[in-house]
Amino acid sequence: MKPASRHVFRWDLDKTYLRTEFDSFGDLVKSAIETAADKQAYPGATALLRTLSTGDGYRVCIVSGSPTQMRTVLAAKLALDGVAYDEFVLKDNLRNILRGRFRALRAQIPYKLPALLSSRCNAAPAPAETLFGDDAEADAIVYCLYADLVAGVVEVETLERILHSARAYPDEVSRTLDFARRVPRGDVVRRIIIHLDRRSPPMGFRKYGPRLVPVFNYFQAALVLYADGVLDARQLLFVAFEMLDSGQYRLATLANSLQDLMRRNRLGADTVLRLAAEVSAQTVGGVLAARPDLPPFDAIARAFTDRVRELRGAPPPPWPTETAALDYVALVDQEHDSRRDRRRRGAD
Amino acid sequence: MQRIVVDAMGGDHAPEQIVAGAAEASLALPDAEIILVGDAEVIGATLPRLRHDGSRVRVHHAGQVVDMDEKPAEALAAKPDASIVVAAALVAAGEGDALVSAGNTGASVLACARTWKLIPGVRRAALASVYPTELRRGEKNDPFSLILDVGATIDASADDLVTFAIMGAAYATLISRNRRPRVALLSNGTEAAKGPAAVVEAHQILLAATELNFIGNVEGLDIPRGVADVIVCNGFVGNVVLKMLEGVSETVVRLARYAHKEKLAWRIGLMALSSALTQLKSVTDWQQYGGAPLLGLDHPFIKAHGRSNAHAITNAIKVAAKAASGDLCGHIARGLADLSNRRASAAL
Repeated sequence: MKPASRHVFRWDLDKTYLRTEFDSFGDLVKSAIETAADKQAYPGATALLRTLSTGDGYRVCIVSGSPTQMRTVLAAKLALDGVAYDEFVLKDNLRNILRGRFRALRAQIPYKLPALLSSRCNAAPAPAETLFGDDAEADAIVYCLYADLVAGVVEVETLERILHSARAYPDEVSRTLDFARRVPRGDVVRRIIIHLDRRSPPMGFRKYGPRLVPVFNYFQAALVLYADGVLDARQLLFVAFEMLDSGQYRLATLANSLQDLMRRNRLGADTVLRLAAEVSAQTVGGVLAARPDLPPFDAIARAFTDRVRELRGAPPPPWPTETAALDYVALVDQEHDSRRDRRRRGAD
Repeated sequence: MQRIVVDAMGGDHAPEQIVAGAAEASLALPDAEIILVGDAEVIGATLPRLRHDGSRVRVHHAGQVVDMDEKPAEALAAKPDASIVVAAALVAAGEGDALVSAGNTGASVLACARTWKLIPGVRRAALASVYPTELRRGEKNDPFSLILDVGATIDASADDLVTFAIMGAAYATLISRNRRPRVALLSNGTEAAKGPAAVVEAHQILLAATELNFIGNVEGLDIPRGVADVIVCNGFVGNVVLKMLEGVSETVVRLARYAHKEKLAWRIGLMALSSALTQLKSVTDWQQYGGAPLLGLDHPFIKAHGRSNAHAITNAIKVAAKAASGDLCGHIARGLADLSNRRASAAL
């Protein structure tokens, strides 16, 4: 048993950390032959993951649907980015092919759920977890199901029905149920962050309750973690500066991202004003001393408070304050249908 | 980055279709920021239901709306916090680069005219409109010609008409990518001496003092033929012409409906032509074009049709972004400065 940690961060890789395209066969081939240096992380994701991986008592576990054959190149990419991790689980798709289990190649729930449960079973249980996924596949469902299983909200009997609905093979069902019976219980999943790689409408995730926050970018993820007390203002600024460095974001687009979370009732005006005050109080030192090209701290703080002012106290739309019980069987069926529709349209 | 301010509350289908158009533009224009001005609560409830990029959309609250049937001057006086007033003020304050509105035309033009400055050399602004023509033009094979003024300046002097010609040519060059647009004056005959005194004088100035591709006078029947790419007239004539052309189009549609009902042979004939008519409709669909530009002020303003749907608004935002990034107002200013220099040289 590994030493206990304060907070576990579970990350998906493709479309969550890495900008991966696998919508077509060509994309899959390209992804398979890319070198570590070719692979691109989303702006801000590296700074955030690196900050979390170096946090005292923080533990980073990566569970990806990429095949095990890509371990070398993916590990090299994480090393290039300076990201340390405690666990790195990949999908043994070669074994699935050799056993003729083609359904398992694309299956999400029967692969990811036991991997998450196994990870919690095999380490000293942490009192808090934050999960990172994306909107490309079933991450929202898998993560919420994992959270509810660990919290004891979903019974093992219900899980069996869900796994059958997810078309899991019998040995996958029994393995997952075994982990579910053994997993240390607790309402530990504090936050689920879903990266909107497909730019899915955020309202579509409302049904998952307040624990799950869809984000357009990693500045928004960092803001949510700042509001949760996981990151401080300086750590948040490192994420912001990496995004500015990428050339794909400007101070205005970061401030807009902040306002977007406010409009969605996922970030309070008081939190933004506290952040602005803390940003203003930052002094240029250490790594930032050599970066005169970055916006001054007071300009950043002003941009943030301007976005609050522009809303002039307009109330955000109501967002659920409690997670209602989710009908996972129906969600799995819906996800299956929508994936089939996407495939028919040639988008998956 | 172009910052396009959009009046979210103006138009027959506001705010839903306006917000939807802005959401689509946030995905289609990677280097633009869309600033939606209007009821932040309503916009905040609408945006999360749509695919968009939250980092490229910003909301600025405005608590009042000018309705489509209100008298412009009275409405602006009574509603200082109207979305169009706040939107125009944002551009004037340097918070935005261009404005798009599908709202009350008179109020929009008045709000811009009151808060923005005229480009040096421009005495009166002109509202331009597009009309589908038989001939196509420019790198984009554009099926629309530009007519200006269509209502902003009822009685234009010769100098105003020359200014309109320069402004229209600059717009056609930039937006239609028509390197040397054919410019014509609308008159009651092609001879240089025909028409009112202002038209005759403008004809002489355009020939003597500009390097525009001035093709002389054209008559009303030349408009749908597409003989000229830019047709210049005063606002009174332009408005009458535009309304008449719209009336003719509507009558043609009504006659086709009558024919469809009246005789089986006619109905078969229309059915045989249906695919061609659909194609023709898509080619000449005003929603593809975006809207009518207000030219002569120091910022671009695109007046979208009051009935604009999301698609038309997206296109209007694209046109506004193009006008801002291509420095339309700078082009006009340089054209007018050139005219001034030529006339000064000729006077010596």
